[in-house]
Amino acid sequence: EDELSLLVIVIDTNPIWWGKRALGEAEFTLSKCIDAVMVLGNSHLFMNRTNKLAVIASHTQESRFLYPGKRWASADPFGDGGSSMESNCSGSKDGKYELLTAINDAIAEEIKDLMTKTEMKGQQTETLLAGSLAKALCCILLITESSKPLSNQEMKSRILVIKAAEDSTLQYMNFMNVIFAAQKQSILVDACVLDSDSGLLQQACDITGGIYLKVPHMPSLLQYLLWVFLPDQEQRSQLVLPPPVHVDYRAACFCHRNLIEIGYVCSVCLSIFCNFSPICSTCETAFKISLPPVMKAKKKKLKLA
Amino acid sequence: EILKEDESGSLKATIDDILFKAKRKRLYEHHGQVRLGMMRHLYVVVDGSRTMEDQDLKPNRLTCTLKLLEYFVEEYFDQNPISQIGLIVTKSKRAEKMTELSGNSKKHVTALKKAVDMNCSGEPSLYNSLNLAMQTLKHMPGHTSREILVVFSSLTTCDPANIYDLIKCLKAVKIRVSVIGLSAEVRVCTVLARETGGTYHVILDESHFKELLMHHVSPPPASSSSECSLIRMGFPQHTIASLSDQDAKPSFSMVQLENNSEPSLTLGGYFCPQCRAKYCELPVECKICGLTLVSAPHLARSYHHLFPLDAFQEVPLEEYKGERYCQGCQGEMKDQNVYICKVCQNAFCVECDLFVHDSLHCCPGCIHEHPAPISV
Repeated sequence: EDELSLLVIVIDTNPIWWGKRALGEAEFTLSKCIDAVMVLGNSHLFMNRTNKLAVIASHTQESRFLYPGKRWASADPFGDGGSSMESNCSGSKDGKYELLTAINDAIAEEIKDLMTKTEMKGQQTETLLAGSLAKALCCILLITESSKPLSNQEMKSRILVIKAAEDSTLQYMNFMNVIFAAQKQSILVDACVLDSDSGLLQQACDITGGIYLKVPHMPSLLQYLLWVFLPDQEQRSQLVLPPPVHVDYRAACFCHRNLIEIGYVCSVCLSIFCNFSPICSTCETAFKISLPPVMKAKKKKLKLA
Repeated sequence: EILKEDESGSLKATIDDILFKAKRKRLYEHHGQVRLGMMRHLYVVVDGSRTMEDQDLKPNRLTCTLKLLEYFVEEYFDQNPISQIGLIVTKSKRAEKMTELSGNSKKHVTALKKAVDMNCSGEPSLYNSLNLAMQTLKHMPGHTSREILVVFSSLTTCDPANIYDLIKCLKAVKIRVSVIGLSAEVRVCTVLARETGGTYHVILDESHFKELLMHHVSPPPASSSSECSLIRMGFPQHTIASLSDQDAKPSFSMVQLENNSEPSLTLGGYFCPQCRAKYCELPVECKICGLTLVSAPHLARSYHHLFPLDAFQEVPLEEYKGERYCQGCQGEMKDQNVYICKVCQNAFCVECDLFVHDSLHCCPGCIHEHPAPISV
């Protein structure tokens, strides 16, 4: 029985982070990262005839689908990609399966286009990760719906995020909305973090049941991808994988951004404060302060002489 | 809906239209800039009288109601993670509590599953069930919303005293009562809902029943008299200890000790920041020191009620001049309408539109705009 498994890879292509890396030591560059991702994608498609793949690049200006891109929409994008694709690509030069060559070429074309031709507008330095995850969820929904009439098997989907730059705390609310939506649809979110630990992705992996891994040695990225992130949900229970990380679920107070263990929550807007204050700074509600009951002064009875 | 044939005698266009409208019906308008009651204490009163054995809902009214209530409880805790539910059943002119008010969904679902074998007999008593609920709800703190939802199937009620006096008491204690009728409209329910500020609907069929129940999942607008206060809450850390740690000490969870159900020693858990009592799951109210324990994602789950997403603008496909690709899923637009977000002007297909409004609560186009930092 063939099980349908869909893997969506979201790659962080923050040009500022990758640019800084290229200036430093050129051992691990974006092209090496994309090579590793291509091998992972090909391996996933090899695991089972019916597996499906999608790759999204997360940039500071936009999120772009590297595969399947718009040029695939004219043909059946999630089918075998047979005859109509051969007219687009030059054919496999090393005897590789046609579909994989086509996919690798499409990814390479799109990423070159994205990195060279995108205009950098404004002052944004942060990756639009929440937006890419939202588009990934919509894409998973589309593929799940379109494959429902073809087979009775349930489609199991997961998203792998390869994160390079730091977290963007401004996207917290959108990110949490996306993660709760993924949890509701039973979609796993795995995270492979290249540089600095990401609290948001740790929470995401904990909530959805995925694996979080901070890569100790970046040039060996492919080994980690194939070892940890290639097996699907059912196979994971039979393997020894990195243990769950300790997730810090403490809330940050709205006034100082400190992590607190005990705080005060406004009942109207649910903002969290570390100290009691009579007015909520977010929604400007005046709070009712319960005072101890006022004792009436007892009237002293005057003794009449 | 009327089925009409087109010129060639085919019904396909009308059927497509009906299916399309059915998909869209699920979106309802949100209230706008209205204060919501986010922390809710809700009692669900289930009618257990003789009329529940009626087979107009398959297989009978009781089984159908209990199954829909299981789904309701799950959705309720999904949308309102810091709220509580209690269950009451009324039959043979009495009312008894199936479960106490609590935030633990498993307890309620177990009780609902067990109640399928319940024997339906006698007449319900609206007075007794409302009184029983009121005894607990009137002690709840003022900033929470106190609600009762009655699933009423009988056409009669047997009350020991004047129910209109009880309605006045409910109004005084600010409890909002809503009724879902399974048979026909009953005048006393109409008065009850109107006086206390709730809603009263009578179902047409099972899918309408589900729809009416789902209306009660979203937080209701808060009444003007509800107090706003600053609630003290704890955010415990989750400790995952393993046997190889030197300091790991196995301990009992407070909830298991209370339930008398084979308490087991576990190594990890959530420790209350005030009194260090251990709990296995959140959210929970600490039994030792009374502090409400939640985790930050629980509060984050409710944020989308405070910042609701506006409905997208519906434009017929022929009039839309942009590219025929949905900006969300990158699929081709095949439906009769496209949906355009008024803020970012991106176009989405009907599936993405439903998904965005039901589950995602944020527009995939808008979150690509970099948000301005929140000014403190």
